[in-house]
Amino acid sequence: MAEESVLPLAAVLVSAVAVFLIVASYRYPNVREGWSVLAALVKFGIVASMLPGVMDGTVYEWSLADSLGVEFLAGVDFVLRADPLGMLFAMLASFLWIFTSFYAAGYMRGLDEHAQTRFFASFAASLSTALGIAFAGNLVTIFIFYELLSLVTYPLVAHNEDDEARIAGRKYLAYTFFGGGVFLLAGTVLVYWLTSGVDPAGEGTLAFETGGIELLAEAAAAEPVFAQAAFFLLIAGFGVKAAVMPLHSWLADAMVAPTPVSGLLHAVAVVKSGAFGVARVILEVFGPGLIHDLPLSVPGVGEVGLNVPVAILAAFTLTAASIIALRKDHLKRRLAFSTTAQLSYIVLGLSLLHPYAILGALFHIPAHAFGKLTLFFCAGAVHVETHTDYVSEMAGIGKRMPLTMSAFAIGAAGMAGMPLIAGFVSKFYMLIGSGTVGGGYWIFAAALIVSGVLNIAYLWPVVYTAFFESEERHDAKPLLEFPPGGKRESYVADDGAVATDGGNPADDDDEHAPGGQPRPVDDDEGDTEAKGAGTPLEDETDDEGYEYAVDQYPSDADVPGGHDGHGDHADGHHDHGDHHHGGPPAGGWERRSPFSESTWLMIVPIAVIATGAVTLGVVPDYAVFLELVIYIVESVFGVDSFDELGGLSLAEAMEVIDE
Amino acid sequence: MSSVELLPALLIAVPILMATVPIVLGLRFDRTGWSVTAITTAGMFAATAYLAADVYATGPVVHVLGGWGEPQGIGIELVADEFSALIALLVAATAAGLLAYTRVGGPRGNTFYAGYLLLTGGLLGLTMTGDVFNMFVFLEIVGLGTYAMISSGDGPESAVAALKYLILGTVGASLYLIGVGFLFMATGALNMVVLGDLVPELMAAEGEPTLLRAAFAFMFVGFALKVAQWPLHTWQPDAYQHAPDGVTPLIAALVSTVSAYALGRVMFTVFGPEFLTATPYLTEIVVTVGAVSVVAGSTLAVIQLDVKRMLAYSSVSQFGLIVAAYGLVTEVALLGAIVHLIGHGMMKAGLFVAAGIVALGYGARTVDQYAGLAGERPVTAAGMAVLLIALVGIPPSIGFIGKWYIAVGAVQAESWLVAGVIFLSTMLTLAYAARLLEKMYFTPASTLESPHAPDAVATDGGDGDADETPAVAGDGGRLADADRRGSPGAVSFGMLAVLVTVAVTAVVLGFAGGAFGDLLKPFVSEVFN
Repeated sequence: MAEESVLPLAAVLVSAVAVFLIVASYRYPNVREGWSVLAALVKFGIVASMLPGVMDGTVYEWSLADSLGVEFLAGVDFVLRADPLGMLFAMLASFLWIFTSFYAAGYMRGLDEHAQTRFFASFAASLSTALGIAFAGNLVTIFIFYELLSLVTYPLVAHNEDDEARIAGRKYLAYTFFGGGVFLLAGTVLVYWLTSGVDPAGEGTLAFETGGIELLAEAAAAEPVFAQAAFFLLIAGFGVKAAVMPLHSWLADAMVAPTPVSGLLHAVAVVKSGAFGVARVILEVFGPGLIHDLPLSVPGVGEVGLNVPVAILAAFTLTAASIIALRKDHLKRRLAFSTTAQLSYIVLGLSLLHPYAILGALFHIPAHAFGKLTLFFCAGAVHVETHTDYVSEMAGIGKRMPLTMSAFAIGAAGMAGMPLIAGFVSKFYMLIGSGTVGGGYWIFAAALIVSGVLNIAYLWPVVYTAFFESEERHDAKPLLEFPPGGKRESYVADDGAVATDGGNPADDDDEHAPGGQPRPVDDDEGDTEAKGAGTPLEDETDDEGYEYAVDQYPSDADVPGGHDGHGDHADGHHDHGDHHHGGPPAGGWERRSPFSESTWLMIVPIAVIATGAVTLGVVPDYAVFLELVIYIVESVFGVDSFDELGGLSLAEAMEVIDE
Repeated sequence: MSSVELLPALLIAVPILMATVPIVLGLRFDRTGWSVTAITTAGMFAATAYLAADVYATGPVVHVLGGWGEPQGIGIELVADEFSALIALLVAATAAGLLAYTRVGGPRGNTFYAGYLLLTGGLLGLTMTGDVFNMFVFLEIVGLGTYAMISSGDGPESAVAALKYLILGTVGASLYLIGVGFLFMATGALNMVVLGDLVPELMAAEGEPTLLRAAFAFMFVGFALKVAQWPLHTWQPDAYQHAPDGVTPLIAALVSTVSAYALGRVMFTVFGPEFLTATPYLTEIVVTVGAVSVVAGSTLAVIQLDVKRMLAYSSVSQFGLIVAAYGLVTEVALLGAIVHLIGHGMMKAGLFVAAGIVALGYGARTVDQYAGLAGERPVTAAGMAVLLIALVGIPPSIGFIGKWYIAVGAVQAESWLVAGVIFLSTMLTLAYAARLLEKMYFTPASTLESPHAPDAVATDGGDGDADETPAVAGDGGRLADADRRGSPGAVSFGMLAVLVTVAVTAVVLGFAGGAFGDLLKPFVSEVFN
């Protein structure tokens, strides 16, 4: 039952209002970040307050036509409705934002970044639009927020204002608007046209319906080709943000953004909005039944369901992206390709159409979010504390950042799908799903397993090098670039000729990095923070005068690791004000306790999110997400209890839908 | 004759008569032009709003001039229907609002304001005329007014640009007049509504109405010139770029828009959908002209160095969208074309006002000089950014509404080429919009490494005519301006207020898609039934 309520709108608008407050209090960093935190808490509160109702079958709905009498477009309403699927995404994004807003404050101050007001304002706006995507009640509404999300995240990607960031920003805009403004809009218009063709009154419909839009199913019977075109256009439109190959390349470049952005937006909100959109299209626009039955004749193969090409693309993406990740030395880029792969898990699971696979895919949305956010937070903390971005420079870093790297290990295990961590549960269901479907679908199950192994292959070396290797003696990374069996490396200069070892504190440009290099003096950190708090824009002028030698990409492939690559690294970091070398200081990493390794602003969020990842893995039944996901699958398939779907083959499950 | 029925005639006659007042008063007083114009346009805006309210409440208002010739339909009629009332509102609002810019930003002088009023009167006449011959008369009045406006800049470029416009514009109007002649030969009528009835009859009688086709061909080419469709657009970038900053918004927002309105009026009221679809290759040609203009206009816009010139080419592209929508000949596409006419006029007016403010207060004219604008002039930059984003068609904005309806129309007509161009136009528009956005927001302002001494360019920043200096437009000599960064004091509150109002309206109207549909439904469905 639908209940008119202003709550969904309020949830969307909270952070939009915060944008103004953030901009207005730009002179007072503490107040400004206070607004962020406050908005995050209120937002989560509003979303959570709807949860009990939604679980009882209520759908909270706010529409522009009903409340204000304004028609957005002729025949199309602007609707926000909190249904179970929307709640899944909204809960996730608003919950994680709370911790990200603390972390972002710590990160931005720790690095003394410029334009922090713009950063926090855009961040709040991004969350607003992400919630808009979650609660959108029809294709036009989701399109609006999808476009706005591209728009407001652009300032975050181009944040650094150097050439690398600008180029990444351009690429970002081009990809996301091509996805939104071209593919998604075209698909939406097609659906509108198709449905208006069969509607007796000639009015098209775009509103999401659980199990698929009925009019669309009718229209698809009459015009199968256009329905197929609409399906692929919509999937391509959302697939851009979900970074499905071949539309993925913006994601790795977008990693020039500050790490909180890479974490919450480019591992959770933005990319998940793509995956979420795919879920909407598959579950609530076309419906699994229609997708399965709408034949697509492929020469030489015969007729296949519409889902098969999508599944093949997703399976390819998750394998290929994992392999690419193996070769990345820049940690954030490695994580970006991991994200690309993990998002395709979701798309793959959804496109398999089997209830278990859908369940797994939907649960993978929160599971991956917790895991990947942990990983990004760790990468960011390492960057802030030690300015180390490359895996090849991280040998022994576990001594310096024990808690961070432990959390990283948890996140990595979750990515790989180890039991007791969130990622396991979702992958388990997806495997059951693809296994049950049988037939040619075994290849998808195989892809899932292979990718799981690859996950270990690209994330485990990071953990291994942090804890089990030392500065003097470690394997050169990335492993794939070097002879099998590894190549011994050491940060300690072994020939006297090379004097410019990475982290010598007496190095040339150290004065640019007031809080940058790890130093044994404890109050140094406090100093850094105070500086970040008081003078957010102060360093800008210095940076502008500074010539970055090249604006090249930090090409991962040609960074051999070890000391002789440091010159390149420094150019690639673009840290603004912290022109420095990554890697351990001269005497190796110092040993720190978990309480002094970084500021609490970063340590606490990392710990909380990592705990969340474990919670989801150990007791998924008690963390709301699994319950929500089961409820979604039940309503899509129109059954009262998920148990009824147990053990059904795909064909049987489709029959259940048709009833 | 009720008072409402008098309004169409007054709306045209009053500004044209008032155009003489600044000149007469100028014999005694120096600066009366602005006040006279302000009072007149404010009154006109109120009257237009009243008229529009009446039109949307009770239906079209027809004024038969002198009450003569009513039965035969050969008298002079002025018609305010759902379509023309909306355009008239745009004209009156823009003319009144822009005065807030010219008050301080210039150009000044009584003769300028005389031309301003003349142009406004002509535009309203063109909007409301009910017969095809008077449409020509008003086209000429508008052309002369525009010529006077453009040439009110005091550099040689504006003189050349004005001359170019004069020649090409007159050629366009003449082509149109030849078309009117053919039409009159074929039908013996000039009144649009009468023609609208006669054209189908003639088609039924003749089968191959050669005269009608010739008439349409001449009229279409004439309007394509006036609307600046590729490849007949060449007058337009020069005119927009070299006109004084205070004038460009007016001509960019209104002159081409009202010409495009007239084209729509001729296509749909006079010839009617039946003729358009029955004539072989007609819709194909119209659609192709529009689609090619979209692509060519945006491509040319992307490579421009000068911001005003870039926006001018953007107009070529946006009008291409409108012409293509006309060529689709479906209800929804026509609705979209009308909405986009209004929306584009508004957004372009705002953008040119912003460009004027930036030139005045920041001394920047080229895309490169816009670097760092967001930090230095946050309000102007934000207003411009909102309008650019709206122009790209990102919802909620008026730009999106027009695009949505046109896209739906294209898909309904199953015209996949147009649909493709429309969807891709987002990317094309983005290409030049993002270029400016990136400069404003993500490129730090730098004192450009200008080798020129500041005295190389003799502009005085506070003068709206600053662009008329002999320096080569676009680059080189202009760099020196950047060092001085204009004179912020020259930007008045009124200018910013106009910009902000337009930007906010562009977004708010983004929620009015249904309202536009309701307002225009009577007109659109009458055309198609």
